[in-house]
Amino acid sequence: MDFALLRDAFWGLTFDGIALGAIYALISLGYTLVYGVLRLINFAHSEVFMIGTFAALVAASGIMGVNIEDDPRTGGSMILTLLVCLIVAMLASAITAVLVEIVAYRRLRQRGATKLATLISAIGVSISLVELFRIITDSLPREFPRIMEKTFLFSYAGADIRNDKVIVIIAAGLMMFALERFITKSRLGKGIRAVSMDENTSTLMGVNINRVITVTFFAGGLMAGAAAFFYILVYENTSFKVGFFLGISAFTAAVLGGIGNLKGALFGGFALGLMETWTSAVFGTAWKAVISFIILVLVLLIKPTGLFGESIQQARV
Amino acid sequence: MKKNRVLAVVAAVAIATTSFVAFAPSASAACSSKLKIAYQGPLTGPEAALGINELNGVKFALKKFLAANKSANVDPVVYEVDDQGDPAVAGPIAPKVAAEECVVALVGPAYSGASKVSLPVYLSAGLPIITPSATNPTLYDFGKSIFHRAVLTDDYQGPALARLVTSKVKNAKVFLVNDATDYSVGLAKTVDITLAGRLVGKDTTPTGTTDFTATIAKIKKAKATAVIYTGYFSQAAVFVKQLRDSGSKIVFAAGDGVLDDQFIKLARKSAEGVLLSAPAIPMETANAKLAAEMVKAGWKPGVYTTESYDAANFFFDAIKAGNTDRASINKYVSTKSHKGLSKVLKFDAQGEVSGADVNGFVIKNGKIVLLGAIKA
Repeated sequence: MDFALLRDAFWGLTFDGIALGAIYALISLGYTLVYGVLRLINFAHSEVFMIGTFAALVAASGIMGVNIEDDPRTGGSMILTLLVCLIVAMLASAITAVLVEIVAYRRLRQRGATKLATLISAIGVSISLVELFRIITDSLPREFPRIMEKTFLFSYAGADIRNDKVIVIIAAGLMMFALERFITKSRLGKGIRAVSMDENTSTLMGVNINRVITVTFFAGGLMAGAAAFFYILVYENTSFKVGFFLGISAFTAAVLGGIGNLKGALFGGFALGLMETWTSAVFGTAWKAVISFIILVLVLLIKPTGLFGESIQQARV
Repeated sequence: MKKNRVLAVVAAVAIATTSFVAFAPSASAACSSKLKIAYQGPLTGPEAALGINELNGVKFALKKFLAANKSANVDPVVYEVDDQGDPAVAGPIAPKVAAEECVVALVGPAYSGASKVSLPVYLSAGLPIITPSATNPTLYDFGKSIFHRAVLTDDYQGPALARLVTSKVKNAKVFLVNDATDYSVGLAKTVDITLAGRLVGKDTTPTGTTDFTATIAKIKKAKATAVIYTGYFSQAAVFVKQLRDSGSKIVFAAGDGVLDDQFIKLARKSAEGVLLSAPAIPMETANAKLAAEMVKAGWKPGVYTTESYDAANFFFDAIKAGNTDRASINKYVSTKSHKGLSKVLKFDAQGEVSGADVNGFVIKNGKIVLLGAIKA
């Protein structure tokens, strides 16, 4: 155990933990939104994220013509490239999420299939997408070109603050804020909250349930796509199995905060990012999953619905 | 009734006899068509890149052999055995390979775990094997007389990797990182022993780790002047990139799991100056002309392609010398020698090569450059 390291490098570790947590939080929002509305864990959500990373890759090389050999871009060209990659990744993930819903869940739901059948369908979609990308990519990881030079903006208490991570934290914050406004203020957002409260009554009140569900998957997909772009911007590589570990972490974050609860997903994401980084420093990286899950179990023992409780309708974010 | 019973007994005996003949061990059955060379390793799944490198070496060797010996009674297609590098997959496949009477020799298995379950089956079928890459030191015990290995074991690579770093970095203070796989932990152990007092810290980053922040913080705090990573290339690329992006310029070194062009593709500029060790030699370094010829033929050489090419050629030597069954081919490779691209293959009583080296490499201008044998 190395508590001295945590003490000495505390602010550096914390900054990196928040950047990682922002990515977790964005993914876990997708799990939580779908659960809030359908009471269903969308196991294919990790692959929605994975497809986002590949979409960002295609956007960079295909649309913006960034070669892997190129020097990082600067100025307007850099901002444009970043934005295009972000938007393409978000759209690709959102469309994938909607397709997954239509192909794997909608018919089962309409015919009143059991929760178990839907769960298997979700796992099936997840495995099919992973295998599909394994075949397409020849099982090899793919590198993402460096779009922006990574530089240290400033140093605070021994923590080197790097530009790409600052962008991730700020942009993720904006996304979350936009999602919150959408859920609480817009008509469709109200529909989402209504359906999550009581599906049958909302239908009687004239809420188009299929549309609400499509929008829910779309919104969750947008967040996962943004997370995918931020991930690939910081870590600069992806592979067919990238969704697995991040998906598990994000799902854990959602449960930690209270699945179905937006505020919980955000808090869970940041908490898990920080916990993983701190425990890696103190106990060694091999222990990070062990410690994180012990904490999760302890939290659930004391508060079985997660820190912020279940259900989307109570969440004021 | 009695008569019928006698008939039934006779019939049963007859059936038993014929089936005994039909299912007699294939080792003794003669091959009635062309002789086949098999390759076993991961050809699909996450480890497929390595298996394909090796299979390409065997295919290329076969093509060259048939071009030079047009009348040779050898099938122009390599008999491919895909074990996905997984013992659980290899288990049920090995008996099928052993039962193929025309398969007279096998290059592989690529991985140690899969070797442990396959070798006993091949031993009982008398099928000779030369593995180009399974480096676990205990494999002889599983394959005995049919076991041959074209590379040095992990017992040699770890100490060599440690020496490579201490020879390049004055008063090196080494931080050692493994990825929790069998290969990585084993290699790290031998590095650790050799480094002794020069080790300033250790960490384990299990496969799938994407964020190395904490490990890098530890490296900086320990004031290490070199990092040795004993895992595989895809994660090594992520690690070295994050290390460089954190502003650290210390030496980064790794074993044969990282000796792959994919590493350079993934790590880009961060790969520059990385030191590597391997009991293998890239085709481009061993024989640039042959490597170019191979690329032209449509097969890209990679790590362990050269060793696979050598292993296959040793078998072809045996066939050329008139050996057409498993037993005689096994005797040939066990007793004779073959001057390969990587080294002279001459197996000792335990099927191990001797006089071979662990090579050192450095990545320079986006290419893997051979530094030469790592001296003891």
